[in-house]
Amino acid sequence: MSEPKIDGFELKPGFKGMASDTASDQTMFKGVHWGKAMMWIFLLSDTFVFSCFLISYMKGRGSTPVEWPNPSEVFALEAFGVPVPLLLIALMTFVLITSSGTMAIAVKYGYEKNRKMCGWLLLATALGGLTFVGMQAYEWSKLIHEGVRPWENPFGAAQFGSFFFMITGFHGFHVSIGVIFLFIYTYKVFAGHYEKGKRGWFTKLKGDYVEIEILGLYWHFVDLVWVFIFAFFYLW
Amino acid sequence: MSDEYDNNKSYQAQSSEVMDGSTGSVNPDIDYVRPSEVGEQELYHPHSFIEKWVFCQDAKVIGVQYFLTAVFTGVVGLILSWLMRLQLGFPELAGFMTAEHYYQFVTMHGMIMVVYFLTALFLGGFGNYLIPLMVGARDMVFPYVNMLSFWMFFVAVAVLMASFFVPGGPTGAGWTLYPPQTILEGTPGAGMGILLMLISLSLFVIGFTMGGLNYMITILQARTRGMTLMRMPLTVWGIFTATVLAMLAFPALLVSAIMMTLDKVLQTSFFMPTILKAGEVLEYGGGSPILFQHLFWFFGHPEVYIVALPAFGIVSDLISVHARKNIFGYRMMVWAIVGIGALSFFVWAHHMYVSGMNPWFGFFFATTTLIIAVPTAMKVYNWILTLWRGNIRINVVMLWCLGFIVTFVNGGITGIFLGNVSVDVPLSDTYFVIAHFHMVMGIAPLMVIMGAVYHWFPLVAGKMLDEGLGKWHFWITFLGAYSIYFPMHYLGFIGVPRRYFEMYDSPYMTSAVGMNEFISIAAFIVGAAQFILIFNIIKTLKTGKKAEQNPWKANSLEWYTSTVPPEHGNFGDRLPVVHRWPYDFSVPGAKEDYIPQTTAPSEVIHTEVEKT
Amino acid sequence: MENTNNIEKTDKKEEASTHKIGIYLWIWTLLFVLSFFSYMVDWYQFQGMLRWSLILFFMFLKAGLIMAFFMHLFWERYALVNVLLWPMTAIACFIFLMAAEFQYTLFSRLFYFVVGGGA
Repeated sequence: MSEPKIDGFELKPGFKGMASDTASDQTMFKGVHWGKAMMWIFLLSDTFVFSCFLISYMKGRGSTPVEWPNPSEVFALEAFGVPVPLLLIALMTFVLITSSGTMAIAVKYGYEKNRKMCGWLLLATALGGLTFVGMQAYEWSKLIHEGVRPWENPFGAAQFGSFFFMITGFHGFHVSIGVIFLFIYTYKVFAGHYEKGKRGWFTKLKGDYVEIEILGLYWHFVDLVWVFIFAFFYLW
Repeated sequence: MSDEYDNNKSYQAQSSEVMDGSTGSVNPDIDYVRPSEVGEQELYHPHSFIEKWVFCQDAKVIGVQYFLTAVFTGVVGLILSWLMRLQLGFPELAGFMTAEHYYQFVTMHGMIMVVYFLTALFLGGFGNYLIPLMVGARDMVFPYVNMLSFWMFFVAVAVLMASFFVPGGPTGAGWTLYPPQTILEGTPGAGMGILLMLISLSLFVIGFTMGGLNYMITILQARTRGMTLMRMPLTVWGIFTATVLAMLAFPALLVSAIMMTLDKVLQTSFFMPTILKAGEVLEYGGGSPILFQHLFWFFGHPEVYIVALPAFGIVSDLISVHARKNIFGYRMMVWAIVGIGALSFFVWAHHMYVSGMNPWFGFFFATTTLIIAVPTAMKVYNWILTLWRGNIRINVVMLWCLGFIVTFVNGGITGIFLGNVSVDVPLSDTYFVIAHFHMVMGIAPLMVIMGAVYHWFPLVAGKMLDEGLGKWHFWITFLGAYSIYFPMHYLGFIGVPRRYFEMYDSPYMTSAVGMNEFISIAAFIVGAAQFILIFNIIKTLKTGKKAEQNPWKANSLEWYTSTVPPEHGNFGDRLPVVHRWPYDFSVPGAKEDYIPQTTAPSEVIHTEVEKT
Repeated sequence: MENTNNIEKTDKKEEASTHKIGIYLWIWTLLFVLSFFSYMVDWYQFQGMLRWSLILFFMFLKAGLIMAFFMHLFWERYALVNVLLWPMTAIACFIFLMAAEFQYTLFSRLFYFVVGGGA
C-alpha cells in the first residue's frame, strides 16, 4: 500500500527504482508481502487462462459462416412489458462493481485495523458476490428455458451456446470461490483472528490484514474479467 | 594510456559497491551486507511419521517425492518405448500387439516423458530440492501449498495410470491429441481413455501452478542477505525462467483440455468441424480443429523450453564446478536464458507448417524460430569456453555434461532444418522429426539429469555414487543413444513416416528394415542400461562410501548447510550471508581453488576475484 | 494492559499512511458512469468502427481504473508493475495472429464450401 521503508536501502522512484530493486538482494518487490506477490503472479497466470478462452471465442465466432445470434436480443429482459436489451447484464455489472468498491474500502479499513468496518464491508462484498451468482443462475435458466444448449441454440451458430456457457461458467466458478473465501474471511475478521494472532486452520500460519488485501486482489480480478466478458460477449 | 588490464592493482571486492540503491554513504566496512528485510520464516515442524514423510511440508522431502514419482512414470514410459521398438524392429515377435496398442503406447510414451517425467523431474524434483538451498532460504515461502502441489501431481499420475485399465484403454491419438480424431470413435481410447488423459492434464496444471508460485516467489522474495539475482547459480535461473514459462503456458493447455472435454462429454463443437462418417453427418459442426493446434502449441513450444532451460542452468553449474573455472559470460548466460524464455512465446506455429493455417504465418514463425537460435548458440559457445583451458576433472558428472553439449548441438542443428518452412514440409511427419526432438529435448536433458543425480546424490543421501558403475552407465547410454537416433535421421530423409504401426512392403522401405532392427536392439540395451543407475543407488545406499561435506569443492550455498543431508530449515541457527557469485574457482591469489559464496571480501583481500 | 494501549497508539499512526477514502469513492463513481456509457453503446445501437472503438475505449478505461486504484497498481513499485504488464505482449501477439487466422479460416470455408473452390 504505502511506500515501504527499508533499512539501509534507498527506494528510488520509477524505472531507476526498478533497476535498483531488481539488482538488490533478498527481495525484488520491495515491501510486498510474499503472499501478495504470489497472488499477483497467480492472477497473471489466470489472465492467460481467460485470455485463451476469449481468444478461442474470437477465433470461433470469427470463422463461422453461420450467423451469430444478436446478444442484444438474446439477453433482453422484459421490464414493464417492454423488452429492454441487456437489462440483466447491466444489473449484474452494477452489482459486481458495487461489490468491488466495498472490497476496496474493506482493504483500506483492514490496514487501519478497523475490525468492525472491515468485517461489515467484507460481508457486503460477499453478499454482492452471492447476488451476482444468483443472477447468473437466473440468466442461465432463462436461456436454457429458451432452448439454448451448449451444443445447439435456436438463434444461430451452435458455438454461441458453447462459448457462452463455458466462459460465463468459468467466470461464475471464480466468483463462487471468491464468495466462499469472502465468507470465511468475514468470519475471521469478526472473530478477531488477526488481533489474537490465531493460526490458520490448514496452513498453521499466523494471519495479518494483508490477507484481506490479497483476497481483495482476487476479487477485483474477478471484476476485471467481467469487464472484458461484458465488452466482448455482450456488446460485440 | 594503454587500455590493457592493470594487473598490478589487484581487485578488491567490495560489497558496498555492488549494492545498488544502498544509502549514499559507502560503508567503510567492506564486509557490510545490509540487514534482513523480512525477518525469519516460521517453519511448521512435523509431529508424526505421516507429517514427516507423507504429507510433508519440507521442500526437500517434497522434491524427493516428486523425483521418485516422476522416475516411476519415466520407467513406465521407457517400457512403452521398448514395446514400440519391438513392434517396429521385430514385428514377428510382437504378435500380441495390435495397431491400436501401438498408437496407445506412442501416445502415452510421449505424454508421460514430456509432461509427467521431464517437467515434473526438473521443476518439481530439482526445483523443490535446490531452490531454497541455493538462494539461502529456510523453505519455500508457502510450504503448505507446496505440499498440496505434490499431492495434486500424484493424483494426476494416478489418473493417468488408471487410463491403462479402463475399457478401451488409454488414448491413442498421439501425444498432441489433435481433434477431431482424438475423440471420434475408431481412435483407440476415444471413450474413457481420452477423458482421463484430459482430467489428468488439468490436475497436473492445477498442481503445478501451486508449486510454480512457490518456486517463483521464493526466488524473488525470499533470498538470503547478499544474494542478488545476479549472484544466483544458473541452476536457479534456469528453473526460475522455466517456471515463469510454465505459469504462462500451462493456461493454454488447461483451456484446450477443458474445451476438448466439453466437446467429448457435451457434444459441443469447439474443435469439431462437420464430419461425415460412413455417409452420415455427425452431430458436430462448425468448430475449428486448427484452434486446438494453436492453443496446444502455444503451450507446447514453451513446454520444450520448460524442459530445456533447467537443463541449461544445471549443466552450466556442473561444468563450472568440474572444470574448476568460472562460467564464461555469466551475465550473457542469464540474459540468454531469459531471452530464450521470452522468445519461446512467439514461435509456436513452427509446429504447424503443414496444418493448413494462414499461409502468411510461415514467414513470421520461421523468422522468430531462427532468431531463437542466437541465444541458444551463445550458450553453447559459453559452455565450450568455460571448458577451455579449465582444470577439467573427467569424472562421471563431467562425462554427462560433455555428452549433453554434443547431443544438444546435434539436436539443435536439425532444429534449424525444421525451422525453415521449405525444408520442413518434406521432412515433417518423418523419422527426422523424431530424431530431432529426441536428441534435443529427450536425450540432452536426460544427460543433464543423470549428471545432476551423480553430482547432488552426496548432498541428498550423504553417500558417493560408484564411479565405475557410473562410467558404464554413461558410455552405454551415450553410444547407445547415438545408435538409436543417428540412423533415424537417415530414415527420415528416405521418407519413412512417423507414427506408422508397420512399414509395409513399399520398395523404398527395404533399406529401412535392417536399420529398424539395429535401432530396436540399441534401444533395448540403452533402456536396460538405465537400471545400472537404480542398482548403483541401491548399492550405494547400502554399502556406499560416506560423503564428506562438499565433496566436489563447490561454492554454492547448498553445500554449506549445517548438516549433510540438510535438516528441516536447511542452515541451522543462522542463515548464510552471501558476498559473491558461486563461480569463484581457481582465483589467482587465493589459497584454495574455490571461494565459497559466504566468504567475506576481507578474507580474500589479495585475490583477483570477479566483481559481482 | 499498557502494552496493548501502546500497540493501538502505533496503529493510529499508520492510519495516515493508507489512502483517503475519497479516492475509492471517486473511482467507484467513475466505474458506474463508464459502465453506463458502455451500456448506452448498445442502447443506441451504434455499429461498425464507432461501436468497436467505443467498446474498447470504455473497456480499457474501466480495466485500467480497477487495476490502477482498486488493485493499487498505481502505487506499486515499477518492478512489480513491469513484471505484470510485459507478459501481455505474448497475449497481444496471440490475439493478432488469431485474428488473422480466423479471417483465413472464414475465407477458406466460404471459398471451398460456399463458392465451390477450385472445382
